[in-house]
Order: sequence, then C-alpha cells, then structure tokens
Amino acid sequence: MTQTATRAPAVAVQSVWKLFPAGDGVVHALVDIGFTVDSGEFLALMGPSGSGKSTLLHLLGGLDRPTKGEIHLAGQPTTGLTESQFSALRHSTIGFIFQSYNLIPFLSAVENVELPLMFEPVDRASVRRRATELLELVGLGHRMHHRPSRMSGGEQQRTAIARALIGAPQVVLADEPTANLDHRTGESVIGVLEDLCRQLGVTVVASTHDAAVAAHATRVLRMTDGRIAPADPPVSQ
Amino acid sequence: MSAALRYGLLSAGRRRRALVLPGLTVAAGAFLLVLVVALMPAVRRAGAAFGDAAAVGRATLVISAIVVLLGVLEVAITATRSIVQRVREIGVLCTFGVPPRSVVCALLVEPVLTAALGALAGASAGAVVAVAGTGAGLIDASVAAGTVAAGWGAAVALSTVAALAVSAAPAWRAVRRPPLASLTS
Repeated sequence: MTQTATRAPAVAVQSVWKLFPAGDGVVHALVDIGFTVDSGEFLALMGPSGSGKSTLLHLLGGLDRPTKGEIHLAGQPTTGLTESQFSALRHSTIGFIFQSYNLIPFLSAVENVELPLMFEPVDRASVRRRATELLELVGLGHRMHHRPSRMSGGEQQRTAIARALIGAPQVVLADEPTANLDHRTGESVIGVLEDLCRQLGVTVVASTHDAAVAAHATRVLRMTDGRIAPADPPVSQ
Repeated sequence: MSAALRYGLLSAGRRRRALVLPGLTVAAGAFLLVLVVALMPAVRRAGAAFGDAAAVGRATLVISAIVVLLGVLEVAITATRSIVQRVREIGVLCTFGVPPRSVVCALLVEPVLTAALGALAGASAGAVVAVAGTGAGLIDASVAAGTVAAGWGAAVALSTVAALAVSAAPAWRAVRRPPLASLTS
C-alpha cells in the first residue's frame, strides 16, 4: 500500500493585505497576497523598491502584522498570537538575515553567531562548538574572534548567515542580503547561503532586486505595487 | 535570568570605557556622603557657633545626598544614552526571540554595576580619608566606626537602588518598542 505523506508547507500566505495610514488615506503596501513555500525551497521575492518585498518579509517574521489574511509558519497559524508567543515562534522557527547585517559591535564573530542562544539555558560548550562549525562552513574559521568593525561587509554578512542558522530554524528570512555588497561578494555570500540551507534542509525566503540572487533560487515571485505579478507564460515548445 | 546577567556583564565589560565618567561621578558623591556622615559630630559642633547645630548638620547631609543623587542622575543619563545607542541591538535580540524580561535584565546590569562599583570605590575612599584624617589629627573630631560603616552602607545602597530605579523605565520602554521600529531606527 502506498502512503501519501501530507506535509504542511514551511510558509503559507493566504489573502494577506497590509495597509498603512498615510495622511487622510491609506497606502496599500500588500494586496491580496497568497503563495506557499515548500520545505527546503529557496524562494526569491523580486521587485523594485516599494513593491512590498520587505513588508512581506516583516509579516512572515512576525515583525509586523497583516491588516487582513492569514500566515502559517511551519504549519502553525500565526493570526492571534501574542507578541510573546510570536517571539517564541521566531526563536524556534525563524532565522533572520538583514541587509545591514546588524551584528553586535562589541561581540566577536563567534559570539555574534551564538547570540540567539546566549539567553538559553543550554550547554555553552556545545553552542560554541556549533557556532565554530558554522563559521567554518561559511569560510570564516580564521575570523572567529574578530569584531565586526575589523571584518569586511561580505565577512559580516557570512557571520550573519551563521547566526541565522545557529538555532536550527526551519525558515530563514533574508531581507536584501546582498544589497550592501559588491556584485562578486554578493554572489559568494548568496552561494554560501544557498549551499548551507540546502545541506541543512532549511527553507529560504529572500527579498532582492538582484537578478544574480534570484538565479540561485528554486523559485522567483515578482512583486509590483504590493501585488504578485502574474508568472511569465511558459515558453511554447 | 543568569544567562541575561552573563550577557549584561559581558557587554558592560566590553563597553567599560563609556562607564568611567558616570562611575567617577557616583564615586565622588559617595565619597562626600561618607565623609559628611563620619564628620557629622564635628560639623554639628562647628554649626553650634552659628546657633543651630542640628539644622547645619541636616543641611550638610542633604547636600551630600544630593551629590550622590547627581551621580546617580549621571548614571541614568548614561544608561538612557546607552539604550539609545543600543536600540538596534535590542531590536536584534527581540527579533531572534529573546524574551523582553531577559533583555531588560541584561540592559540593567551596566548602570547598576557602574553605580555600585562607583559607590563602593567612593564610599571606601571617604571612609579611609575620614579615619586617616582623624588619626593624623587633620580633622578635629572623633570618628566612630559604626557611623562610618552606616554612611558607607547608605551611600552604596542609595546609589545602587537609585540607579536601578532610574534605568528600569528607559530599558523597559526600549524592549516594548516593536522590533521592526528598533531595527530601522
């Protein structure tokens, strides 16, 4: 007998709207967005500035709430979660990578990687081992004890990738991860992110306006004016 | 909570240069307070020449306490400034799901430690100067060990508790901001 396993998508977005008040009116930042991302997928959200990519990522990460609609993360509905419940969900499920790295300036690279687990009652030695492994995997084994001010942008972003993965998240949300990097460094960073997430089976949703980033994705969603643009028609054979 | 304290100690250690000035201000206040408490009998005696020894003693004590509180105010200003400087760090911690109470606890380590260490140093110096000055005959009064100890304890306790009280509100306000607002500020 064949069993069909039904596995919830890593991310499911259903009819999500986000409106922001602006003067006497409202700005429609996101309009009726719906899509799913399967476990292990690398989804690129592409579009020009102001198209709603970052707003969507913020909603996926619970950093902001949709005006309407439903978002499921790892099969769990997020509507109605309190801030502390969402905080716990973020901690267990999501890793973040920011455009401006957001490393803590007074911590070394390895301490920055450990940061998401620093407040946990966990074995410090095993966290240090894991952080060291991740830094070696992103090619920074030689920069373990350097502070961010002594690292290049590419090294800082690779540290941020290791930090996003230390908690073994199911989903990594990357907001313009290569926007502050030159093309070559950006290529290398996104390659590291792609390789690591594939190895670890982590789902990635990355916003970008860089076609080189999108080239690493398993799927691309194009956004314009807060909407998902219709997919290009398949090329007829 | 011990993890939050550990993180707070780590950050205070790494950011110690910024804490020197507020620590010194608290130390100066604690030094004066202990000295005044220790020398209160002499102050009262001198005050008697002006007609009201008790009133002069009280006024001197109040002035010393104000100096201590000015030191604590310096700590509070430094704590508030430090929280403003660390707003992105707070946003990152909240984004990664660190509980707000742990973040507040970590943020409070710095001002409380600064005030406590500053007060300990200043109060101890005040006690040494009072005892040594009396012993050397530079100060015309007998200094009771109990009085010095009481002044020392009051200076350290007042500084530490006041630093905790004045730093808690900005720390709590900072963690209650949405993480997105902290990250983009």
